[in-house]
Amino acid sequence: MKRFGAILLSLVRSGFRGLQSSPVTSAVAVLTISVALVLGGGFALLVSNMGGVLERFGEELQVVAYLEDGLEPDEARALADSVRTVEGVAAVALVTKDEALRRFRETTGGGALLEGLDQNPLPASVEVRLIEARRTPEGLAVVVSALSGLPGVSELAHGQEWVEGYARFVALVRTTAVGLGIVLGIAALMIVANTIRLAVYAREDEIEIMALVGASRSFVRIPFLIEGTVQGAVGGGLALLLLYTGYLLALPQLEYGLELVLGNVTPHFFGASGALTVVAAGSGLGLLGSATALVGARSGS
Amino acid sequence: MSGWERHASSGAFGDGAVRTYHVSKSYIAGTFALHDLTLEVKKGEFVFLTGSSGAGKTTLLKLLFAAERPSEGQILVLGRNIARLRESAIPALRRRIGVVFQDFKLLNRLTIEDNVAVSLEVVGTPRREARARAFRLLKQVGLQHRRYHHPLSLSGGEQQRVAIARALVNEPEILLADEPTGNLDPELTIEIMDLISSASTRGTTVIVATHDHNVLERYGKRTIHLEGGRLAEDTPATGAEP
Ligand SMILES: Nc1ncnc2c1ncn2[C@@H]1O[C@H](COP(=O)(O)OP(=O)(O)OP(=O)(O)O)[C@@H](O)[C@H]1O
Ligand SMILES: [Mg+2]
Repeated sequence: MKRFGAILLSLVRSGFRGLQSSPVTSAVAVLTISVALVLGGGFALLVSNMGGVLERFGEELQVVAYLEDGLEPDEARALADSVRTVEGVAAVALVTKDEALRRFRETTGGGALLEGLDQNPLPASVEVRLIEARRTPEGLAVVVSALSGLPGVSELAHGQEWVEGYARFVALVRTTAVGLGIVLGIAALMIVANTIRLAVYAREDEIEIMALVGASRSFVRIPFLIEGTVQGAVGGGLALLLLYTGYLLALPQLEYGLELVLGNVTPHFFGASGALTVVAAGSGLGLLGSATALVGARSGS
Repeated sequence: MSGWERHASSGAFGDGAVRTYHVSKSYIAGTFALHDLTLEVKKGEFVFLTGSSGAGKTTLLKLLFAAERPSEGQILVLGRNIARLRESAIPALRRRIGVVFQDFKLLNRLTIEDNVAVSLEVVGTPRREARARAFRLLKQVGLQHRRYHHPLSLSGGEQQRVAIARALVNEPEILLADEPTGNLDPELTIEIMDLISSASTRGTTVIVATHDHNVLERYGKRTIHLEGGRLAEDTPATGAEP
């Protein structure tokens, strides 16, 4: 056990010594890994934010049924009641013509625009909130078709096309992200493997000498694996730092743009587990890269 | 296993540390670096290996620690058949053999103390102990004050002494030294040779390749003379201890 500990310690030590003694090669490997992770991670961040936007959008999603003019208040209330029974409807709010006018005045600050008119041009409407399960393009379509058949409804306003287009877009981005991630991962792996292979070549004499004084194959190789893993973790950390800086720089523009579309949506960065995943992905890349590099190396004995 | 091997490893041939049996080594087809060499070195024996440049001294030593494999014939080292040794069994054999290389083979990125400690660390000696023992050996070769220096900042003779310290630090059963005094002045040569022969008195089998006639005469040990890869002469020890 003591021997095992001593061997482990000296393996780790020589792994770090490797990093120290070939700073340029190490830096190249770290940068390679971090570039790959910035691209992949940035994309993941984009996808995750879009998913978040879609989710929040779903909460706010409602269908507005504008009522035919000249509908009596009683008739409007009855209509609202029948809407309430439609499958998939969570809540219904009746907005009378007066209420609509009041809201309009509030939002436009006085409503001077309508002052000259002798009668209220705004229609009454029924605002429909959907249950959670219907907040998808398909669910929305079902509710909308049920509502459009009701007598007294003149027009339906809803984000059907928008939601569909958006969902399709997110699915596309997600698929692209996975594909791009795989391509980037393989490319990064190959570049990292090559970088580390250079380090192995540069130190073949050393590998040979270690073997000549009785070091086992794994004793010679494990430090390179440790070296690769550490380079990968550092590359992952660097990628996180770069992504966060980019995120902070882009945030003002992003917030403005999102507000225009959806209002109070706030973009988010990786959480703890996301950040950890980026670093772990880096370590994995580094480890795999060095393992790949060693496959081709001289055995040293 | 041939009958010869069975005899040798069962001890019927006594306590041979090294036995070669019709060994040939050919690096380039048609030429022989070693040719039909049969010899035995007993446990604890001290043997000089001599012969002109290109005679095959280094080649023979390389075969003994499995850096090369014989083209023909059999070699037994500490009961292991080098011709058939599995790749994975080589490290274990090498840990029982200390080697002083003609070109030193030091790790230039490490301090000389770590260079010596490394042959202990590969078998899992705790670092503190490995460094303590390395320091003791550096003291014996007179380099304790340079312990934190790197090999390239040392003279050739100093590097050679580091190589000797590394070869001796794990108290090997066999010590193979290829021109260990090739870069040393006469005084240091005697000091280092005394160090090597003291390992021999502790029971280590020692094989030293050397050109140096002064050394050969001074120590009067058994001398194996190679010529063109063949055994030319095997002179027994004169018994004239220095
Ligand atoms: N790796 C190799 N490839 C081809 N030929 C080799 C190789 N190593 C040695 N030789 C040849 O084998 C022969 C014996 O070489 P070796 O190094 O064993 O001689 P040596 O007795 O150690 O000489 P020196 O005293 O110069 O060190 C020489 O002719 C040499 O050129
Ligand atoms: Mg030689």
